[in-house]
Amino acid sequence: MPTHHLGRDRPDDRPAARRIENEIPEPMIERRTLLAAGAALVLARATPASAQGVDTTRATAFIQSTGQDLVAAINSNAPVAQRRERVAAVLRNAVDVEGVGRFILGRWWRQATPEEQAVYLRLFEEILIRNLSARFGEYQGVRFSLGRSQQRTEDDTLVNTVIERPNSAPFSLDWRVGEVGGQPRVVDVIAEGTSLRLTTRSEYSAVISRNGGRTSALLDAMRNQVAQLAAREGR
Amino acid sequence: MRPFRPIARCLPATLLALALLGGALTGCATRPPADDPEALEEFRATNDPIEPWNRAMYDVHQAIDTVVLRPVAVGYRAVVPGPVRTGVANALSNLRSPVILINDALQGETQRFGTTLGRFLLNTTLGVGGILDVAEDLGLPEHSEDFGQTFAVAGVEEGPYLFIPILGPSNPRDLLGYAADIAADPFTWLTFGNRDLAETLQYIRAGATVVSTRESLLDTLDDVQRTSLDPYATLRSAYRQRRAHEIANRPGARESAPQGLGTGLGAGLGSATPDTAQP
Repeated sequence: MPTHHLGRDRPDDRPAARRIENEIPEPMIERRTLLAAGAALVLARATPASAQGVDTTRATAFIQSTGQDLVAAINSNAPVAQRRERVAAVLRNAVDVEGVGRFILGRWWRQATPEEQAVYLRLFEEILIRNLSARFGEYQGVRFSLGRSQQRTEDDTLVNTVIERPNSAPFSLDWRVGEVGGQPRVVDVIAEGTSLRLTTRSEYSAVISRNGGRTSALLDAMRNQVAQLAAREGR
Repeated sequence: MRPFRPIARCLPATLLALALLGGALTGCATRPPADDPEALEEFRATNDPIEPWNRAMYDVHQAIDTVVLRPVAVGYRAVVPGPVRTGVANALSNLRSPVILINDALQGETQRFGTTLGRFLLNTTLGVGGILDVAEDLGLPEHSEDFGQTFAVAGVEEGPYLFIPILGPSNPRDLLGYAADIAADPFTWLTFGNRDLAETLQYIRAGATVVSTRESLLDTLDDVQRTSLDPYATLRSAYRQRRAHEIANRPGARESAPQGLGTGLGAGLGSATPDTAQP
């Protein structure tokens, strides 16, 4: 259990998280990673409360362009910090960070103070971005294409894509797209039936429950995670 | 003559007994107070009433994994060339075919039944005992099926979540299914007229399955350990979602290689398992 609780919303930790620069992240592996990163991507968009169904064609076009932007950013030759900024811009634009973040925090959202909520959302977004930027190396050469099936559900649309990386078996990733404020937004990423937003919700809730219901314990753990991801990116 | 008791056959019963005993002894997770409906709802949805015991078993598993399973898998990957590992994984998948076939039939999945039968015949012959997956190239993709899934299709509830050392995430339904898989597997009973030989082959198969499965999960599990704020909770959630997905048999869904056990880590982290198929 973390000893310092309530690292309460130090408004200054963002700069710390942003410090890192350059370099090629070590190549790491496979699917889960990709999954996690991809999922992270997708995740960001979930807005369960406000998301609405999106036309399949529109959702597909949205994922197509978002995916191309991400792949271009990952595969570019720019310094890591610059690529990270590009990825961050794409994600902020494509993912419903607040909706997904609130969904993941679930019942703890209402128990958190407004300051905690703000810090949480900032850390959550940072983790989404850094989950990708810490893996630029291993994703080098990544390609993606639209898969066979797109399906419309009541609340949103699932867009299937196939992710290919050199020396890895291709795998399929489903993007859940909802409509938030009139725009299509990614609300979840699903790999072989495993939803990133559900898995993360379970993870975060366990951290809070096991620390006496203190949201601050989760925030500490998230800060720690950002620092670790940042360190990997620097390698 | 020595009793014919392959470890693979005794293991589930022993582990189940251990898990149940443990659950009875050390108890249950604290149930949230009745005046907190959200907490109660989460408690119910998490489906882990003996969480303290399961977490203890997870720690036991992690210790075994750190000292034995993972190092062996790392060594296996380092020493054995990729194509050979793929061949091993293919051969193990092929050996599971009869059990998959039985479960395809029990679930009334006629098309899948045909696919499994075709794969088994082609891969066993043209594929040299299953080492080469020629059927995949001929348009017969692999899928997994097991008694745990068949029980689920028949309406059996999963029961409380269980974490079993070495096997990994499970539940009473999948554990029982695992035992049924072994009992229904003709390779469990074939002796080729030589019991000692048959027993030796059983051990080799069980050992190879553990090593090959763990190797296929190396990157996934390393990643979970490195990035999850609570790996136990992440694995629990991933396993349950993954099983629900496997049980549903949605048309067109991609599935991972069936070399795994039908319960435990091999089944719970499908996002990673297909990696075995790569060079």
